[in-house]
Amino acid sequence: MSSLRHVRLRGQAIEKRYGRVPALRGIDFEFASGESVAILGANGAGKSSLLRILAGLSRPSSGSFAGYAGEESAAQEELELSRDALRGTVGYVGHATLLYGELSARENLLFAARLHGQQPSREHLDTLLESFSLLDVADRRAGAFSRGMAQRLSIARAIVHGPGVLLLDEPFTGLDEASAAGLSLRLAEQRESGRTLIVVTHDPRRAVELADRAVILHRGQVRGTPERAPIGTSVQQGRSPAFEVDALRDALAQLAGEGLEGAAV
Amino acid sequence: MNVALTLFWKDLATEWRSRDRLVAMTVFSFLVVVVFQFAWPPMEPEEAARFAPGVLWVTYVFAAVIGLGRTFAMELENEAMTALALAPGTRGWIFLGKATATWLLISFVQAMTALIFALFFRVDLWTGAAGTATIVAIANVAICSVGTLLSAMSVRSRFRDVLLPVLLIPTLIPVLAAAVNGTTATLAGEALPFAALQPLIVIGGIYLILCFLLFDYVLDE
Repeated sequence: MSSLRHVRLRGQAIEKRYGRVPALRGIDFEFASGESVAILGANGAGKSSLLRILAGLSRPSSGSFAGYAGEESAAQEELELSRDALRGTVGYVGHATLLYGELSARENLLFAARLHGQQPSREHLDTLLESFSLLDVADRRAGAFSRGMAQRLSIARAIVHGPGVLLLDEPFTGLDEASAAGLSLRLAEQRESGRTLIVVTHDPRRAVELADRAVILHRGQVRGTPERAPIGTSVQQGRSPAFEVDALRDALAQLAGEGLEGAAV
Repeated sequence: MNVALTLFWKDLATEWRSRDRLVAMTVFSFLVVVVFQFAWPPMEPEEAARFAPGVLWVTYVFAAVIGLGRTFAMELENEAMTALALAPGTRGWIFLGKATATWLLISFVQAMTALIFALFFRVDLWTGAAGTATIVAIANVAICSVGTLLSAMSVRSRFRDVLLPVLLIPTLIPVLAAAVNGTTATLAGEALPFAALQPLIVIGGIYLILCFLLFDYVLDE
């Protein structure tokens, strides 16, 4: 299997419109290799639109977006990835599981790997299934899985081809507390393995658990980029809100209030 | 190419387990043959052989529309189509894998339909069976190529059930005209007519190449 590649994603003045409706209004971003970022915002803030652009599923209406890759060990220059190649370097977990209910768990992983031009061994698939506690049900149809099992398999499917970046769109939706905690643990393992993690969520608690910084979106614009303070220091006052659950929740509530005022006008 | 083989394997494996397309197309074809049987006036076998190709191809095309309609509908379950769109490289291979699997399924249903048709209408389909099979196989290339592309285009539309036949059937008119002419000749015991075969090969080839190239844009949002 291919080793993890360093992938950097950069966008400038990105706009996305669906007909006349703007979803993103000229945002700039840069996600470095190995970073863990939470994209926060209310419904309609543009989070999923941004994630689908990062995945190469959608083209920006205007602005420039590019991915750059380099090998982990080599000190060579980064290469700009074509859009086709970029799709191969990301793993995507959406609202839905992207699984085939008629195929078994192992077959779903095999299909996903082959779609990315890889021929994984049975041992590799079994190791991956084992790491997501799915080896016992490897030959069972994915359609018979519970929501929690299907979501774990969905993440295994997203990383089976060894992508450098894992993109997750509301991965905790529909999970009970125990399943969500388990999933959070597995995502933390992915982060520790050096994989870039970009998680879309509206839950500040999950953002703080998984990410080192957040991008707060509101009506298609970036309204804050709070970061986790380095150990032993504190975030400078006035520079960005503190990267804490309550502070993020307050920031989101404030933006929601702005939305209501706007609606009243 | 491996991506095409992967899609081919996946589509056949899921179809083998669910059998939804096979059952729907076979039952529909059987019902159409039964309905035509009621409307069929008494006639001599030679005369019946002149009308049989038209009736057979009407049945084939409408059954194919049902099968093609499901080609991408199954990708909507759990939004699996997004996983296809994420595949790196030329997406035309995804098209080719799905079109080939559909070609095989439709050809199988057509063979079953021909047997039922021969029984009900007492038409000798064995005469020129090889020639007829060749025409059907080549015509299916055009039907499955353009049908797979249009199925992918229309699957996210609210009107997909109406949109697919409305878009597909007009594009197949030259294919059907050549296929009916060719089948009429082969069922009459004549040699495979080049005048029918040539347009089928040319149109099938053009549709296949065009759809392979255009598919890249279909999966984009």
